Amino acid sequence: MPDDLLRLEGLKVHFPIRGGFVDGLLRRTRGVIRAVDGVDLALRRGEVLALVGESGSGKTTTGRVVVKLTRQTAGTITFEGRDVSGLWGVRALRDYRRRVQLIFQDPYETLNPKQTIHDFVVEPLEVNRIGTTAERERKVTEALEAAGLRPASDFAFRFPHELSGGQRQRVVIAGALVMDPDVIVADEPVSMLDVSIRTELLRLMLDLRRERGLTYLFITHDLSLAWVIADRIAVMYLGKIMEIGPAEQVIRSPRNPYTQALVSVAPSPDPPTAGERARRTILEGETPDAAQIPTGCRFRPRCPKAFERCALEEPPLFDVGGGQAAACWLAEPGRALPVMSLPSDSLTAQPIEGGA
Amino acid sequence: MSAALPAAPVETRLRAERWRLRVQATRAFARRYLRRGDGLVGLVILVVFAVLAIAPQLFVGPLQTATTATGSSLEGPTSVHLFGTDELGRDLLNLTIHGARISMAIGFLATVITIVVGAIIGIAAGFLGGWIDNVLMRLTDFFLVLPTFVLALILAPVILDVIGVEAELFGIRATLLVIIVVIGVTSWATTARIIRSQTLSIRERMFVDRARVIGGGSAHIMRRHIFPNVINLIVANTVLTFAGAVFTETTLSFIGLGDPFQPSWGQVLNAAQSSGAPGLGAWWYIAPPAACVVLVILAFTLVGNALDDILNPKAVGRR
Amino acid sequence: MTDLPAVLRRREAPLPKLADPNARLLVVEDLKTHFSLESGTVRAVDGISFTLDYGEALGIAGESGCGKTTTALSLVQILPSNARIVEGSIKLMGIDLVPKSENAMRRYRWREISIVFQGAMNALNPVRRVRDQIAEPIEQRLGASQATARKRADELLELVGIPRQRGQAYPHELSGGMRQRAMIAMALACDPAIVIGDEPTTALDVMVQDQILELLESLRKKLGLSLILITHDLSVIAETCDRVLIMYAGRVAEEGPVGEVFHRPRHPYTQKLLAAFPNIHADRRTLDVIPGSPPDLRNPPPGCRFAPRCFAAMTICTEVVPVETTFDGVRVACHLYNAADDGAPVTIAPPNAIGATTTEVA
Repeated sequence: MPDDLLRLEGLKVHFPIRGGFVDGLLRRTRGVIRAVDGVDLALRRGEVLALVGESGSGKTTTGRVVVKLTRQTAGTITFEGRDVSGLWGVRALRDYRRRVQLIFQDPYETLNPKQTIHDFVVEPLEVNRIGTTAERERKVTEALEAAGLRPASDFAFRFPHELSGGQRQRVVIAGALVMDPDVIVADEPVSMLDVSIRTELLRLMLDLRRERGLTYLFITHDLSLAWVIADRIAVMYLGKIMEIGPAEQVIRSPRNPYTQALVSVAPSPDPPTAGERARRTILEGETPDAAQIPTGCRFRPRCPKAFERCALEEPPLFDVGGGQAAACWLAEPGRALPVMSLPSDSLTAQPIEGGA
Repeated sequence: MSAALPAAPVETRLRAERWRLRVQATRAFARRYLRRGDGLVGLVILVVFAVLAIAPQLFVGPLQTATTATGSSLEGPTSVHLFGTDELGRDLLNLTIHGARISMAIGFLATVITIVVGAIIGIAAGFLGGWIDNVLMRLTDFFLVLPTFVLALILAPVILDVIGVEAELFGIRATLLVIIVVIGVTSWATTARIIRSQTLSIRERMFVDRARVIGGGSAHIMRRHIFPNVINLIVANTVLTFAGAVFTETTLSFIGLGDPFQPSWGQVLNAAQSSGAPGLGAWWYIAPPAACVVLVILAFTLVGNALDDILNPKAVGRR
Repeated sequence: MTDLPAVLRRREAPLPKLADPNARLLVVEDLKTHFSLESGTVRAVDGISFTLDYGEALGIAGESGCGKTTTALSLVQILPSNARIVEGSIKLMGIDLVPKSENAMRRYRWREISIVFQGAMNALNPVRRVRDQIAEPIEQRLGASQATARKRADELLELVGIPRQRGQAYPHELSGGMRQRAMIAMALACDPAIVIGDEPTTALDVMVQDQILELLESLRKKLGLSLILITHDLSVIAETCDRVLIMYAGRVAEEGPVGEVFHRPRHPYTQKLLAAFPNIHADRRTLDVIPGSPPDLRNPPPGCRFAPRCFAAMTICTEVVPVETTFDGVRVACHLYNAADDGAPVTIAPPNAIGATTTEVA
């Protein structure tokens, strides 16, 4: 697929569990946490792909692998057709780092309290020795203003603690924009912010995509937010993608029981009627331990629809049409399909064509 | 490129802004510090002693060594000898004020060693982690449990042998260098531990990850992100280490490791002890240096606590 | 005392001595809590009134800094040292708690009003067994014997859905959801009349969030508890509460039955807040934007505090503080509504919204 800007294939990240000092010395491990356990994902140029999952699903680790903060155990990362899996070290990654940037969850933590806004935004340029001082200044001003901090001179020489949460997150965005990247991995960029500020930032991110042709990997635990912002949604559970497809399809006709459960409990400010309550699938238990992934389908122990086969074999991602795929034996081609869908007549957004 | 022409004003403007921020930060700091009574008291005491230490000859003339006595033996306080004299007839006011210079100089140099070594090892171990951390921390543990006095007794002949008894470094004689080295060697480990733990928590902050994502190497991150965030701790720690160093110096001199030709407070106390001053009721021999030690340590602790409260990273975050 | 409310009759613990059994459970009137900072006085809570009946669940919603947590802390008077209740009354069963001394307050805190904090599950003592931590307040506050207290703790654990044996566990052996359940059990330990939840589910996963909300709901039915839920998450309130109170900048914007307020929001702020909430189940795929930011509470704007951000602001809004007017059981503080009107909601101007519908890739 020529339009795949970034591809992850068979990505695995396993963290060894080390016991005490002696274990460390002997390089002995007490098991592994399979944080990411075989993820295939393609990020298409210009799209917003939301990676949704509960805590412990491996979504953040996936994002960290993409920005090369965490080393993969297995699998490849291809950027514009070039394999970047083996690139490590400051020099080898210089070009990649310019083009793939990360926006973090917590703007309070991402900004160094001792650094002025200006120093934060100019830092990537200095580190990579881009431009003269004057050119850098121009870029910093431009990035700050593009992120909605106008005029830039009002903000540049202030410290993070002098800004509000929303403004800080704008600074973080400016710090990513200044490199003029192609891909931005946004890890829960608005989850720490109030609703009203949240929308402004999402709008900013979408505007920037239009103006600069950015591509986003939007990592969130909030399916509703993914629905609002994403073109495509990928749902992760215990290190694997359970379902992926155009946002409307994944939300309106989810095929994996896990997605169905997530959709049914998605928060809504409409007081529920008794009927709605009964329809809801509240899964028992919590996200299980990534150190002890169940055999067969990893969702099986919590799945309300599990049957024999689920315990035996792990289902692959089955294409269910329209660019949607689900990792569930119930979605296997040729099966009578269980349907859980709502009329979506009011949707004006068109599903984006699956690039099959 | 014609960028060279407009470049100058940009740089000037940046420099001006940076300067303005620095002035602003200093002012804010001064305002917060001056509001603290204890810190202020400590600062005043320190300034007085610093002046005495820098220019003792302005107040009491040149140092009276063992060969220059100006009064009779063990004379109580008189109008000529305000603090009385010692068993050799030396003026105790003279000795005490010159003692400030020696004591503070030793404290200062020992603190420099402690902080430089402690900070470098602490930051490197905390930030680089892995086997480097393991090796450095085991080394630190080793120095942490070294008993100061035993080490001093063992090191003294070794160092004196290596550099020679008559050697001088920046006007400081060999025996005193032993004390400086011993204090440095035994106290950097605590500092390294403190700095390391702070570094560990800063390393986990997201701005360090961010610095990596934009392509910054370890050296860049340590300089730009770790160091500025531990500097406060270093400053507060320096002051407290200084107090500890003065105290240790006094103790080491008191047990006889000092240099009779460069009398520090501990050295004077040692002389008082060996001349039997306590038994003879010569309180004036003991009181002045002891009071000075107590005052200086108290002052450093007051300043250190005030700085710690103001500069503590947690307190800054709350602002 | 036959006219006791049904819920009150179920109560095992004796009522406070001064309690008036005929009074409403909780009546807060014109409560003002201010913080004094170097830079000025922050009017965090600036004249809010509300009531809570036996067995009722009230949700208090608003953005961060609107004073909702300060309100909760004022009710139990565990405010930071620089905060003070400067005006108003908090009447619990007819007893005004505001003038109570710290010592007298201990008779009511936890025993009548208990509180579950955000991320409270991380506040458990890591080196003590969960059951013993729950038994402690029963022993200390109610003077029960250790055996009785432990027995009661076991019952409480079962009540919140933690199997009896798990009470022997140390906090780190329990998941976040389980720990939050334990915190709820602890809040129930002294059989309080009111439990306040300050963002009780915020740090939890969606699935676990739902489990905890279900639990609170069932406890309320079973024990006849009254709940106050403080949250920024409107869906939590929609889920669990009977009434909702929307706060803005230290004041009440709108208050009323959940169904009415959420389906026919009257205050422009409520309307915007609801439209800014992403909702899978709604037909829209857009989010509304509320321009600007909340006011500085050291120096709040005169008149309506929402006026600077309001799409319907009129001249009067910037000058006169709106009075609270009640329609269909909904109290609203907005100049759009006069006592003489019918109170029909004035709806939003064309939305200033984002979302997939407006951001198709060209």
